[in-house]
Amino acid sequence: MKKRQVSDESLNRIIKYLVITLLGFAIIFVAIQFNDFWSWILSAIKSVIVPVGLAYLIALVVFPFIKYLEKIGIGPRFVPVLIVFILTGGLIFIAVKYLAPSIVDQITNFFNRDFQTIIVYFQTDLRDDFIFGTQIYDQISNYVAETDIINTTLDTMIPNLIGSLTSSLLPILTTTLLLPILLIFYLLDYEMISEKMRTIIPARYEKDVAELGSRLNKTVGSYLRGQIMLMIMLGFVASVAYKAIGLKYWLVFGVLVGVTNIIPYFGMIIAAVPPTIYAMIASSGPGPLMVLGLNAGLQFLEGNFLQPYIMGKNLSLHPIVVIMSILFFGSLLGAVGVILASPIAASIREFYLFLRQRKKVQRQQAMSEAEPS
Amino acid sequence: MIKKERPKIYSQFEISVILFYLSMIFFTPVVLVFTYVFEVDQTLNINTFMFWVLMSNCFAMLLGSVMLAFSKESLRRIVKPTYRVEYIYLLILFMFGLLGFVVLYDYMGGDRAYIANIIVVLLAGFVYTLMYLGRKYFKFDYMRKK
Repeated sequence: MKKRQVSDESLNRIIKYLVITLLGFAIIFVAIQFNDFWSWILSAIKSVIVPVGLAYLIALVVFPFIKYLEKIGIGPRFVPVLIVFILTGGLIFIAVKYLAPSIVDQITNFFNRDFQTIIVYFQTDLRDDFIFGTQIYDQISNYVAETDIINTTLDTMIPNLIGSLTSSLLPILTTTLLLPILLIFYLLDYEMISEKMRTIIPARYEKDVAELGSRLNKTVGSYLRGQIMLMIMLGFVASVAYKAIGLKYWLVFGVLVGVTNIIPYFGMIIAAVPPTIYAMIASSGPGPLMVLGLNAGLQFLEGNFLQPYIMGKNLSLHPIVVIMSILFFGSLLGAVGVILASPIAASIREFYLFLRQRKKVQRQQAMSEAEPS
Repeated sequence: MIKKERPKIYSQFEISVILFYLSMIFFTPVVLVFTYVFEVDQTLNINTFMFWVLMSNCFAMLLGSVMLAFSKESLRRIVKPTYRVEYIYLLILFMFGLLGFVVLYDYMGGDRAYIANIIVVLLAGFVYTLMYLGRKYFKFDYMRKK
């Protein structure tokens, strides 16, 4: 049997790739030796990226409104920007003046009145109500008592939490102060910034990159706008519905529904747990089934009526894709990853669709050129 | 040969009329939803407040009707294949309207034990109306598979 020969060309290519891989590993190895230096550089980049990125995301949400104001004749640019800032300031003022005191009141009342009842319930009455039987309850409580798991977890968790909070306090403060200023400049020169960024790109790729950029901007922008709208609406609806059925701490639970709605699918489940447990323990107010039913109704309303039409078709990803992206980006980037999982997945899909479309166009062009005239 | 009847295409004027009068019907309940969350009833007399809201509602209705009559011809010239944005507005309006009627029931001293029943009955009616309006006027068939 004749042995298959490897051509010189293939051999050269294999050697080239091997050398590149080895060089890559060598570079990584050398880079690891300067860990402190890289973390110093990364933290500097992070301190720039976070406020600028946030300003960019907020600009994506706000810019269509500014464009609309300009379209109806309100100009020059600084006037619509000023209107947006005044409106936002007004909304923040109303929230802080009227909603925040009620939320603080409800939380204080909860810790002053009901928290003790809940603790007593977990220590005494839960044993009789435990759905898996008293035997399993005893085994669990013995395990908890023997391992002292609650105290150990709290002892490690609380100092870590306090440490991370204090270390992130200064960056948060800086970002909060910088954000409005950055946003003003970003909104005033939105088109000019995009144009300047286009000039950096080589002329060969300029058209493609501009097209892809505008598509990604549209996807992320529509996701953010839709998500903010859904969060406010669902938080509002849940608060009113909780109050109407007579649930105590309705505002806190309603706000929880709105905030957790940022996490697709899991958010509503997370938000349903505290009011249901509270309804189970509380002596007055609606029963847990009613609270659970209300949350299920809200989930149905959101999933079937609001989200498909408010978010639009750009973000109609399959639930499995969304859940997978939440798990992946959640473990990669933490809480930020969980929040941004859906727009990132939608952007990746948009990128893939763009590449496929571009390839198709190139193939068609090549075929038309090859055809004899 | 039996001719298949073509579905009628409605102009922006008809859609605006539907949206405007539905907004006016839901105006008072929607305002009440906001007063409920901000607990205005604890600082103001809710009956007086409701009276003024109803007065403003009537005034807005008169003003809007006149404006609609004036812009009738220009609106008639606008025709869209589907009225998606308008339908989303209707969805949100019905959602807050539903809550508003529940709040109105609560303000009028109704028994809270029946609130769930009221929500279910109103929801069924609202969903039917939404689907009917969507299919017939907004060219937006909700039940159609994507």
